[in-house]
Amino acid sequence: MAVKAFSNEWASAFKDEVNKSSTYKTAAKGWKWTVGLVVEAEPDKHFPESRGVVMDLFDGEARDIKVGPAADAQKCDFVITAPYTRWKEVATKQLDATKGMLQGKLKLKGDLPTIVRYTKASQEMTECTTRVPVEWPDEK
Amino acid sequence: MHDARARRMARRKVGRATAAELVSYANKEPSAFASMLGGLIEANVKAGEGKRDDFDHLVARVGIWVTDIDEGVTLDFKGGTLVVHNGLRPTRTITIRTDAETVMNLSNLKIGPLGLPVYYNEVGRGVAMKLLRGKLKIDGLLPNILTLNAVTRIFSVAG
Repeated sequence: MAVKAFSNEWASAFKDEVNKSSTYKTAAKGWKWTVGLVVEAEPDKHFPESRGVVMDLFDGEARDIKVGPAADAQKCDFVITAPYTRWKEVATKQLDATKGMLQGKLKLKGDLPTIVRYTKASQEMTECTTRVPVEWPDEK
Repeated sequence: MHDARARRMARRKVGRATAAELVSYANKEPSAFASMLGGLIEANVKAGEGKRDDFDHLVARVGIWVTDIDEGVTLDFKGGTLVVHNGLRPTRTITIRTDAETVMNLSNLKIGPLGLPVYYNEVGRGVAMKLLRGKLKIDGLLPNILTLNAVTRIFSVAG
């Protein structure tokens, strides 16, 4: 059953997908930092307020993923920021997250060598988002 | 366009720059890719004395073209400082052309005990296969293999 994009139900389904992934578990071994995703508002796409996804990831496990204000996500060790449409492109496999970061479509803040070291883990995490059936507000 | 004479200068020693001026950008608005590579190299060099030594000795112009996003940079190593240009600039020592995923994998190449990139683990094999299949092209490789090894060491976050 589809869940509303960037809702608490979505966060819970996303967390389950991450914890089901043996690829992520192996690739993220040693990871110990929080990751925040800032989803910027696009009122014309029926996404009126920016939201933050705060991910507590530790050693190959998603301990907690929750959705809240963008400011919460901005406090994380690593912050990736993009407008709603870009995140939708990532979650629907229209945009590869690595390419998106190199093109500046997704803006990354945090220690670059660490994020590069865990490229495979971040790619798998992106794959996990694509496995969550989503109800997009601009497709109603 | 490659400068065949570039290898003669590849390990010229120039005075050590302060941390604040290690990396600069030629363009007023560096591209996201330029900022990312510049930031990665700066962080690597500041973190490791071995990398700093390579960085201090390296004089070369390295082009990187990412084939699946049609963007590139030129890394102008000047023996202790680096100027990052948007796009490919002329008279490059070597030019690497590959996809975004392989660019990231190049940064994940492990460095072996002799300071040589390791091509026998999973990441190394992946990079070697791309080279063999023509999905990773390195112009100017043969006369500048030592330069490529030094650049790989500076790039690497895995060793």
